[in-house]
Amino acid sequence: MKVVTAAVAGLALCAFASVQAAYPDRPIKVIVPWAAGGDTDNIFRPFGPALQKAMGGTTVVIANIGGASGTVGAREAKGSPPDGYTLYAVHDYIHSTYYIGISDVNYTDFEPVCLIASTPSIVTASPKTKWNTMKEMVADAKAHPGQISVGATLGSTSHFFPALIEKAAGIKFKYISYDGLAQRMNAILGGHIDLTDGNLTQKGKVDAGQLKFLATATEKRSPELPNVPTLKELGINVEYAVSRGLLAPKGTPNDILTKLEGACSQAAKDPGFAESMRKQGTDVHYLDRKGYASFLKDNDTLNKNLARELGLLKR
Amino acid sequence: MIDLLLAGIDNIVHLKYLVPLFLGTLVGLIGGALPGVTITMTIIIVLPFTFGLDPLQGLATMTGVYVGGSAGGAITAALIGIPGSPSAITTTFDGFPMTQKGQPGRAIWLGIWSSCFGGLLAGLFLIGATGPLAAIALEFGPWEYFSLFVFALSMVAGLTEGSLVKGLLSGTIGLAITIVGFDPIMSVPRFTLGTEFLRSGFPFLPVLIGIFAFAQLMTDIEKMDGSEQTSAPIKAPPLTVSHLKVLWEIISRPFLFIWSTLVGILIGVLPAIGGSAATVMAYDQAKKFSKHPERFGKGNPEGIIASEASCNANVGGSLVTIMAFGIPGDAVTAVMLGAMTIHGIQSGPLFVSQHPTIAYGIYAAYLLAHPIMVLICAFGARLFLRVVTVPKSMLIPNVLVLCVIGAFALNNIMEDVVVLLLFGLVGYALVKARFPLAPLILGLILGDQIEVNLLRAIMSDPDPWLFFTRPISGSLLGLSVASVIFAIWQHQRHKGRAEKIETEPDF
Repeated sequence: MKVVTAAVAGLALCAFASVQAAYPDRPIKVIVPWAAGGDTDNIFRPFGPALQKAMGGTTVVIANIGGASGTVGAREAKGSPPDGYTLYAVHDYIHSTYYIGISDVNYTDFEPVCLIASTPSIVTASPKTKWNTMKEMVADAKAHPGQISVGATLGSTSHFFPALIEKAAGIKFKYISYDGLAQRMNAILGGHIDLTDGNLTQKGKVDAGQLKFLATATEKRSPELPNVPTLKELGINVEYAVSRGLLAPKGTPNDILTKLEGACSQAAKDPGFAESMRKQGTDVHYLDRKGYASFLKDNDTLNKNLARELGLLKR
Repeated sequence: MIDLLLAGIDNIVHLKYLVPLFLGTLVGLIGGALPGVTITMTIIIVLPFTFGLDPLQGLATMTGVYVGGSAGGAITAALIGIPGSPSAITTTFDGFPMTQKGQPGRAIWLGIWSSCFGGLLAGLFLIGATGPLAAIALEFGPWEYFSLFVFALSMVAGLTEGSLVKGLLSGTIGLAITIVGFDPIMSVPRFTLGTEFLRSGFPFLPVLIGIFAFAQLMTDIEKMDGSEQTSAPIKAPPLTVSHLKVLWEIISRPFLFIWSTLVGILIGVLPAIGGSAATVMAYDQAKKFSKHPERFGKGNPEGIIASEASCNANVGGSLVTIMAFGIPGDAVTAVMLGAMTIHGIQSGPLFVSQHPTIAYGIYAAYLLAHPIMVLICAFGARLFLRVVTVPKSMLIPNVLVLCVIGAFALNNIMEDVVVLLLFGLVGYALVKARFPLAPLILGLILGDQIEVNLLRAIMSDPDPWLFFTRPISGSLLGLSVASVIFAIWQHQRHKGRAEKIETEPDF
């Protein structure tokens, strides 16, 4: 009997110990809701090792859970236990897919951890178009409303960015659905679409004369592209970037979030990560929990209004 | 060009690159051979290991996985009758019957050698013709893709044995499966019955494994019924094979071999189509050109050659878009490009001129991976061939477990396993009702793409005549009509012949 009691006590102690074990005591999974090789994956892959270092060597695994415009992974992340062992790599699509009714997962289903990177958008044109500048494009669009074709993932960032330009410049585009950058690149190189939302990773094609950068959506000109004007310079008041950060399921304990936030801020400063981002044309843009929370809130309002203006609002 | 390639080969044959290439090919072969584990999954598993390597080492590993994986599918297809990877579906049609006739060695070596030569020939084409091939790929707008997929769908008629009506119905079921879930353009839910489960539709791979693997295994179990005890000490089929004979079977059919390779390259060059469509097209055309189409599906070596040569040629084709524009041709090359981006190599059309060592290193790795693949198979063949001597009562449960794991591991969600089981039952019911499964798979492969491209074409320009007046699109639609007419004619002729000659000497 004594033995049994001792054993039970021992087991209980073990169980207690495992509950109390300092977080993290097992690998942390980061869900990337798209296939490996995409922009989001390419940003979080180098972030993984940096975060691992900052978490004192705890393994950080990137899990690609793709499908249905990134909503399968979102749902999986939402349903994961809020214990800090599952994180969710997200970008602005979470707002737009929610408002146009593709997804039932909202940003409020998660706790913000940190924002890590933002990739400014660039208006990119097919080599087969006749314009060489943004001004020529706008003039052409004014003369032929609804004729210029834009390839976009409908309802996502590549749709919302040109929609903002439409509104600011008073022009009208024609949208053609091409999911994902790779498909859009094929179509634009062949001249099957005129314009698309691009970023600095396409610079190689521009240098080779196979694509044209018309304008960047940044506040100041990019040091990599000194000859490409900003939209603001041209009187089109649009700034746009795809921002990527980490979220944790709702209800994750505060001390765990604090720990993650600290590791995140350290990882964002990692020179290896910074170098990798520079090469990909992405800015490291760190915001802590509080900053990211208010960023998400503003972004949500912006996306809701955009969805309404585009006639896509379903909620 | 040639000297750059030679320099590339010279570079790759260093141990530093050969070891990753060899390991990649080995892992690829294993991944390709496991039903339910696709090449894309295998390459994603390999990806993290390549971060620590230099870029060319990493890319050589991944090229090895790609080549090995494309060949590996044939082994499972020929020996168990289940496609190890989706593109090996057509290898099951003739490979498995050949195994059942007691020639498993011939079946897998026909597959392996055809893969090797198809891949190598494609490699030579690519080196000479990357530019023009890439130019063709760019000419394909939504109209051309739509017509190409219609052409591919017209092959249902050719793939159907027996009742044409059942073949068409089966193809329609395949197309209908792709309708369920969010529509691919505006994400309107369709036929979801208001359930969460059906919203993202039926994922391709679990459906494929369910229909093919489950139905195949169930039929095997039925056949097992009692017979296993009596024939328990089955005479192990001859595991040795005359390589010269197999090689001659391929070389003596130069037209078939080269044509299948060309089909593989062309489909590979066009993004977003994938290996399964290439092998189905090559198989169908081999049957159309054959003097004895009735022998297909019964262990005809021509079927294996067409399927496997086009499968590995397809890999070469998808490397074209990387070399020419630095954009991925399919999911596997997307991961390869992603790996380059992480290493800070700017992908794009200048990639080849800015990084000739890496670009030609990839070509060289691609060419070298083929002999390496053959070498690994030469050592492993006796081992794989043992599979046919394993009692079915042990083999089948194990394969089933692998299928379920494969379906789950794809997206790490349990719904996929449910889909697998559901479509296993559907497939089994269809087999019982004597419906051919190949048209269903074709419909499943093409459904989404036909829809997306039709809508894109209309979004670009509402004029429907463009499908006929654009030269490439128009020709493809013309070919589709011709393909159906030819298949019906062949069918009728075969019927007429079969009445005259009751029994024909088998191969």
